[in-house]
Amino acid sequence: MIKLTIDGKTIEVQEGKTVLEAAEAAGLYVPTLCHHPKLTPYGGCRLCMVDVEGARTLQPSCTLPATDGMVVNTHSEKVLNARKFVLTLIFSERNHFCMYCQVSDGDCELQNRAYDEGMTHWELQPNWQPFEVDASHDFIVLDNNRCILCRRCTRACGELVGNYTLGFEERGADSLLVADYNVPLGESTCISCGTCVQICPTGALIDRQSAYQGKETDVEHNIGVCVECSVGCQRDVLTRDNRLVRIEGKWDAPLNNGLLCDKGRFFPLEDDRPRLLTPLVRKDGNLKAATWEEALNTIAKGLGQDNDLAALASTRLPSEDLALFKSIFADHLNAKMVTSLDDATPDLAAYAEKLGKPFESSLEALKDTDLVFSLELDLVDEHQVAGFFVKRQLMESTKLIVADSKENRLADHANLVMQLEAGNEADFLASLSTAVVNGSADEDFAQAASLLKSAQKPCIVLGKTFARNANEQAMDTLLALAETLNAALIIVKGNANSMAASQLGLDKPFKKNGYQSAFIMLGDEDPSQKLVKALEEVPFVVAQAAYSSQLTGNADVVLPVTMWAEQSGTYLSMDGRLQTIGAALEAPEDVLTSHEALLKIAEMLSIEIDQDWKSRLMERVPTVAIKEN
Amino acid sequence: MTKPKVATDWMCGCAGCHMSILDIDERILKVVELVDLRSSPITDLKEPDKDGVTVGILEGGINNTHNEHVAKRMRERCKILIALGDCAVFGGVPAMRNFCGVDAALKRAYIEAESNDEDGKIPSNPELAEMTRVRAVHEVVPVDLHIPGCPPDADVIFYALVELAEGRIPEIKDDKLHWH
Amino acid sequence: MKATRSMVLVSSDPESMDRGALEVFNRLQKQILAYGLQEEITLSMISDVSKKSANPLVLVYPDAVIYGSVTADDVPLIVEEHLYKGRVVEHKQISPYDLTGKIAWLTARKGTLPAEYRIVLKNVGLIDPENIDEYIINEGYEALGTVLKEMTPEEVYTEIKNSGLRGRGGAGFPTGLKWQFVAGTKSEKKYVICNADESEPGTFKDRLVLEGDPHAIIEAMSIAAYAVGADEGFVYIRGEYGLAITRMAKAIEQAREYGLLGEDIFGTGFSFDLHIHAGAGAYICGEETALIESIEGNRGEPRARPPYPTTAGLWQKPTVVNNVETLANIPAIIRNGAEWYKAIGTPSSPGTKVYTILGNVNVTGLIEVPMGITLREVISIYARGMKNGARLKIAQTGGSSGSIIPASLQDTPMDFDSYSKAGVSLGSGALLIGDENVCAVDLAKVLLNFFRFESCGKCNPCRIGNKRAYQILWNISEGVGTMQDLTDLSQLSDQLYELSNCGLGQTAGSPLHDILAHFRAEVEAHVKLKVCPTGVCQMSGRRAYQID
Repeated sequence: MIKLTIDGKTIEVQEGKTVLEAAEAAGLYVPTLCHHPKLTPYGGCRLCMVDVEGARTLQPSCTLPATDGMVVNTHSEKVLNARKFVLTLIFSERNHFCMYCQVSDGDCELQNRAYDEGMTHWELQPNWQPFEVDASHDFIVLDNNRCILCRRCTRACGELVGNYTLGFEERGADSLLVADYNVPLGESTCISCGTCVQICPTGALIDRQSAYQGKETDVEHNIGVCVECSVGCQRDVLTRDNRLVRIEGKWDAPLNNGLLCDKGRFFPLEDDRPRLLTPLVRKDGNLKAATWEEALNTIAKGLGQDNDLAALASTRLPSEDLALFKSIFADHLNAKMVTSLDDATPDLAAYAEKLGKPFESSLEALKDTDLVFSLELDLVDEHQVAGFFVKRQLMESTKLIVADSKENRLADHANLVMQLEAGNEADFLASLSTAVVNGSADEDFAQAASLLKSAQKPCIVLGKTFARNANEQAMDTLLALAETLNAALIIVKGNANSMAASQLGLDKPFKKNGYQSAFIMLGDEDPSQKLVKALEEVPFVVAQAAYSSQLTGNADVVLPVTMWAEQSGTYLSMDGRLQTIGAALEAPEDVLTSHEALLKIAEMLSIEIDQDWKSRLMERVPTVAIKEN
Repeated sequence: MTKPKVATDWMCGCAGCHMSILDIDERILKVVELVDLRSSPITDLKEPDKDGVTVGILEGGINNTHNEHVAKRMRERCKILIALGDCAVFGGVPAMRNFCGVDAALKRAYIEAESNDEDGKIPSNPELAEMTRVRAVHEVVPVDLHIPGCPPDADVIFYALVELAEGRIPEIKDDKLHWH
Repeated sequence: MKATRSMVLVSSDPESMDRGALEVFNRLQKQILAYGLQEEITLSMISDVSKKSANPLVLVYPDAVIYGSVTADDVPLIVEEHLYKGRVVEHKQISPYDLTGKIAWLTARKGTLPAEYRIVLKNVGLIDPENIDEYIINEGYEALGTVLKEMTPEEVYTEIKNSGLRGRGGAGFPTGLKWQFVAGTKSEKKYVICNADESEPGTFKDRLVLEGDPHAIIEAMSIAAYAVGADEGFVYIRGEYGLAITRMAKAIEQAREYGLLGEDIFGTGFSFDLHIHAGAGAYICGEETALIESIEGNRGEPRARPPYPTTAGLWQKPTVVNNVETLANIPAIIRNGAEWYKAIGTPSSPGTKVYTILGNVNVTGLIEVPMGITLREVISIYARGMKNGARLKIAQTGGSSGSIIPASLQDTPMDFDSYSKAGVSLGSGALLIGDENVCAVDLAKVLLNFFRFESCGKCNPCRIGNKRAYQILWNISEGVGTMQDLTDLSQLSDQLYELSNCGLGQTAGSPLHDILAHFRAEVEAHVKLKVCPTGVCQMSGRRAYQID
């Protein structure tokens, strides 16, 4: 432990902490701009300078290691003058027009720092040299006029996301933020994760969809889990006047620590599918608006005692809904087929039960690994945030092996790329195991084995294709291999709540089989063509959906339900984390949540249901230990 | 003791800052109790007293030789000069003209705009003031107090006037300080 | 080649000139030539020493003899008796009392003239740099042999410490101490880097060693590696030095062939190999941590320090970074011993220094002399005086980030401590010498243009401040500067030093500070009178914001 004095206060910190960290821990204020708690300190803006006794000049506190006996002053006259001077320089460099900037009045860190120092004017006037505005990207506008060259965006694009799209061109006063080798952002290798927009302290990087729609002080925050995939990132949904304004990551969130992908951050705001606002019942061949009572009656008549019924639920819905769904359709109505819309992975679940204990690791293992072995999983395309954890470590000494049966974009970054045939996973793993234990004549397997063996904490990640074809033999080989290598194991399953669906046994593969009736709990999911076709021949179809689609157009009864932002519930991530989301918006008048709709159906059918969804979730042995956040 | 005299004037601004002054509403009665409001662009007297005023307030930046004259005149005739609003303090929105220069701006306005016809030509009457680079007031004359804002709050203006009237220099900081 | 043994100076102040100093000068020139003494005796004019009652003066040095009221007719006697035969002409001698001008160095130097002493440049120009045998014949690789066979690493860096050798790249950090730090840091991997980026304007000393004696560097780096525990090294040569890169590459190849680089050198179990990394045109990559970033493949931006390269350098491993000139001293120190080295130069700055001489002087080039020589001696002895008899007005010592000094500081000994006491910087030893035709504002403007162009752009004060300072100087040189500009320049100078991340920014403010401190009247003339006293500045009224 180190003892140092800051502004007369004696502070104790661990060795390796910086003076800034010590000051912040003691509640002392030191202004910063280029610094960010999630990034390695840069020391470029020179706003955090402090007076250190015995030092030749002022020192940057963000990079200065605290040493025993150090005496620091954070607001001597020299320091205050320096701060004003640095801010004066920054304002004089480019074009900072506060009057019409969307982050003015609270959301601009540069402006706030100027206010903190009591700056009423500029001592140095700018050059009035115009800079380019790059509006080529779908979601992000880059305005170089407002850039203060703090490099937070380029550091985040590299250190946090591992994408390294943003960089700097030229040097000195000609330095310019560019994408790749100075191409328009919309044509670059940008993957639209939006981390740069979130971390930019000024209005230089602008979120197109939400600019000018609400400042910090105008919006409401709703923190909850993202429902776009099964990584389960925590995000902050900002609303105003019952409207979605923007989705942001929270820097202190567990696991994703503020990172989101385009699916979780930008796409949800683009959803412009037409909403279903009233129940519909087919009369004389056409769907007509009806009351809830009428619709429910029609459902009761149509389903009745019939158990030649297929009931399908979307895994974008919370566990409470899925459990209730199962209770109604499997336990009480004894429907022939009760399952989820997701690609089922029954073999995987069965294996866990046979084994008797969980065997997968938490996604945290991906953050601190020296070798990633990715099998049939493209983390550039899907579950992107998990991909960020991998990509950002590759610049250190972490190695990557990618094995796939088709094109895989993660392979661009790999040390070794291997081919295999879909369906042949068991053989592939067997060859790999042999290579690890006894060596191999095959160059690729030999190299893979060598890399795997020399890793201290390797991580094996497998995709849905594997999960679907995971026969017992393959699983046995995989687990044995993981044990030999002391490797963490992560298997990607399906959509947001697919893990919960699996735990509830909603994992039977659905094939059209001449069902007489079907109940589709779609939620806000976009139905696949395959599903639409499969239901075409079913005489009586009931659909619970938020948005109008071809499926609802073909249905006999349609119940309007909420979309993700209007409902609340619990989700189980692919690595067993139970997280909740609360409603951020109020649903339209006649629209109910899927859960409420199900309760109404249960009531109509005089079914008494058991609401203890959590116990039901824990009934099966999971592939990964379930923990509540 | 005679009341301190206050004069205002405007240059390259939108008059919004003067509207903000008026937004002090009925408090103007309190203000005129404490100060002698002399000239302003929105009252009868247009020029600051030749024998000087205590406080001069300027709105708007400087964009032509006439503005220079106004600024210099105010500076000469007042003891404490206040730059009111973002245009006066920083250059403001009109300063964007500095990116393209005077010639291009004149061309766009009088010849190339969608509402011009073939007869469009740049006015060249010798009595017209010559346009210059848009500048903040303190680039032309020394300024004693800056009150930024677009516009500054009426509350801040009222506070500043009362402070000055009572012989103190107002402190523009914390919730009184904003550049937007 | 004969060494200079005498310096003859003729006073050339206006009064002396009125009384025939030029004729005395010309006659001296003729007579010295007639006696064939032109190689041993330098002759120049000196404008700031005079004695009203005895002008013109002829000063002979290092004898510290002053002749007064000299006429052209006195010259043949003085040359024959004093310069040729060594006997002082007593009836013409006057006392030094009441002499105006700086003559302190006269009495301090009595006895020996600062002659060239080549340690760093020992082989340069005398051997074929592309032939390793010629290096070996001239005591080459002897020091390495001694080190590997007879000394422990600790003994090696202690010897260098004792020699007092200080870094020659500009910072002047004690080399032995730097090696000791790295030796003392525990790590399985360590590196030695030779900083051959030499981008300081006016400096071309390292170039001569790289092109003329590359093996000296290889030998020195091997010795350094042994002393600190490194097994790999890099020579970072600026990309523009094509010939240096080629010759160094060849030298490395030959050294490897002879087993002097690679595994198990001299059969002692010590292994060391070198790579060349070419720079790509950035002055900032001469800063040691920016250089390291450059080798790692990143933008050449200096790191935050601490930690220093001695604990976390290349790839975060302990690294020694030394300048070419510093390294070139190493083999000689090992061969001849620390005591030998300490006896040369001054107590605070032992050894020699290679100074490059440029500007309005008669002879430009470079010299290697013991540390402590004064600027006046350099100009008088080696540069053979100011061109066209002009007066020294302004000089810059130490490259662009060195100090701009007025003529009044030309008698300060040029070693690290004396200069530091006088508040000026010695830097890399590039001496830019200017006469009355040089404008202080113009010089500062050119320097700030260099800094603004070379700034890496990481930290605000340097990136923005240099450009702003350049624009202000431009305005002043165009006659549109204001007194507020001078205040701004002063503030920029102070804050650049206080806040910058590295030496470039910290010293970029020196020209600003120096011209305001020593040439203020000239600067103010540009602002208040809109006049450039030397006539150099354009004064055409174009404002900076319209440029660039």
